[in-house]
Amino acid sequence: MAELMPGRKRVTPGAIAADVLVLVWFVFSLFPILWMVLLALKTSAEQTSTYFVFTPTLENFGTVVSQRGTDLTSVDFTRALLNSILNCGGAVIVSLVVGIPAAYAAGRWKYRGSEDLMFQMLSFRFAPELMVIVPLFVIYNQVGLFDSTFGQIWVLQLVSMPLVVWILRSYFQDLSPELEQAALLDGYTRKRAFVMVALPLVRPGIAAAALLAFIFAWNNYVFPLILTDSAATPVTVAVTKFLGGGGQAYYNLTAAAALIGALPPLVLALTIQRYLVRGLSFGAVKA
Amino acid sequence: MATVEIQGMTKRYGKITAVDDMTLSLGDGEFFVVLGPSGAGKTTTLKSVAGLVDIDDGEVKIGGRTMTQLEPYHRNVAMAFESYALYPQKTVFENLASPLKSGRTGNYSAQDQKQRIDLVTTTLGINPLLKRFPRELSNGQRQRVALGRVLVREADVYLLDEPLSHLDAKLRAAMRAELKQLGEMSSTTSLYVTHDYQEALSLGDRIAVLHHGKVVQVGTPEQIWREPQNAFVAKELGQPEINLIDAEVVEGRIRQAGGGIEFDVPRDVDLGRGGRVRLGIRPSDLELVTADSRSGAEWLRVRGAVHLAERLGRNVELAVHVGDAEVIVLTSSEHAAREGESVELQVRLREVHLFAAAEDDDHCVRIGAAAPRERELTTTTTKAATPSDSEQGGRRA
Repeated sequence: MAELMPGRKRVTPGAIAADVLVLVWFVFSLFPILWMVLLALKTSAEQTSTYFVFTPTLENFGTVVSQRGTDLTSVDFTRALLNSILNCGGAVIVSLVVGIPAAYAAGRWKYRGSEDLMFQMLSFRFAPELMVIVPLFVIYNQVGLFDSTFGQIWVLQLVSMPLVVWILRSYFQDLSPELEQAALLDGYTRKRAFVMVALPLVRPGIAAAALLAFIFAWNNYVFPLILTDSAATPVTVAVTKFLGGGGQAYYNLTAAAALIGALPPLVLALTIQRYLVRGLSFGAVKA
Repeated sequence: MATVEIQGMTKRYGKITAVDDMTLSLGDGEFFVVLGPSGAGKTTTLKSVAGLVDIDDGEVKIGGRTMTQLEPYHRNVAMAFESYALYPQKTVFENLASPLKSGRTGNYSAQDQKQRIDLVTTTLGINPLLKRFPRELSNGQRQRVALGRVLVREADVYLLDEPLSHLDAKLRAAMRAELKQLGEMSSTTSLYVTHDYQEALSLGDRIAVLHHGKVVQVGTPEQIWREPQNAFVAKELGQPEINLIDAEVVEGRIRQAGGGIEFDVPRDVDLGRGGRVRLGIRPSDLELVTADSRSGAEWLRVRGAVHLAERLGRNVELAVHVGDAEVIVLTSSEHAAREGESVELQVRLREVHLFAAAEDDDHCVRIGAAAPRERELTTTTTKAATPSDSEQGGRRA
């Protein structure tokens, strides 16, 4: 209500109530993250305590990073971090190399069944991953993709590709086809017109799509949980290994590992933040 | 430089036929204007010639060479788009250099490129803008850059899609004059598309009037203006629109329904055995009768009552009730009559067009004028635009 009357702020009971509700929601949604940060700073002796005042320690982070699959758990944590970067980076690169031309074609040309094809691609995202995991497991075992980086890239691009194609298609649709037509009449081939004119103009879209695809791939848990064992295990799966699985559970180490695991996408997101908002609107609004 | 032949060209978008069996022939170096309301298929025509859309039927020949299956970048045509289509990420200089760098429009050294761009930007008055991006330009400047990208290179054909449409009225008039003086324009075959009849009349060597994708009439500006093929063409040209008045043919006289206008059937026009016709009188051909007006047998006089007078600077637009009809008169403001006043109007009989009576304007074919002219121009019409035989009844060969 206050925004409707610029220059004059009205304080009404309704507005106050709305502000309080927003604040409550804010605290409620951020509390688990706060709790995780606190837990990561506690010693093993204090890991089940619920108090907020204690002497913080960074020791957990050191312990997590120094895991080499021998001492506390079967985890090699730095290896897992590297695996995550390889798997997700690979999946994003594959998604971009194949997805950008696909999005361009889908945005520019209509043919019989083109919409169905696009929807079918999106439907990968609708199906629960658990539905396909058993057949995938069997296939991966027989083909020899189990616990391999290539196998992980292959399965993660199922997650990232539809995202890239759908986001970038709307970016290409927002571009006037007359720009490429002008390039054709300037004497450039269709391929050159695409590379020279269309591609540079959707750069913000590519950045946003790549980032989102990376985050979705990074956060994926079910595929690597079933399809890797140790060699290609990513950070999402490695984190849970600190929960023990029969042995002792290290909640403080789990929290520290999860925090480290959340860092790379966070840093990435912050660096290309200005593209992100536009990307999330799926290119619906013209700049 | 080359001729352009369009033969039976048809383009459909789903159920809509954008261009319908079009046949046009452009001479070498001719400045040819396609005039039509929006949605008439003008842009589709240009893009078909350019090869940007695949035509469904017919063929396009440039310089005698069939263009079918030839990619746009092999056709050596240059086009200015209505949307300008300037590359947003490139500066004005880079935009203008783009056709020179592709290698398909000829080989230009860096020195040549700079020289050509210099020449064209000086002509168009956009020299100081070379380092700017399109988003930093006004619409008028963008339009000049788009035109520059066409003129900077040699091409067989220039295709110009409403290049002046987004400009304000003053700038449009100025650019129209400039376009006419551009040497490149006069030496290169150009296909120019517009919905503005003044542009068409002032720029075109010849004009084709397009309606629903069909060519209605092709002719010189004078032919199109003085002998419109049908009432649609007559209405397309002129602002305010031509007055169309229903009339009957009774005993050798043509009489307006409700009285008012009445004159003899001209001797060179065969209207058969009576029936109905439509009279077309351009508002600018009508004048108010005053004490020192010219008079004589060549003039048709009618009485009416002014019910609306609209002052437009130098001119006044009067809406006058004549019989049952409302007739618009464009007159100079010194002779203007006031609203409610009774006036007498006059028009030269030879400026009164006779059209066949029909439901829609397309079928109101011009039969002739109310009085014989010293010379009638011969108008070329295409097969597609020729009306059926019955309507053609009184039309002279």
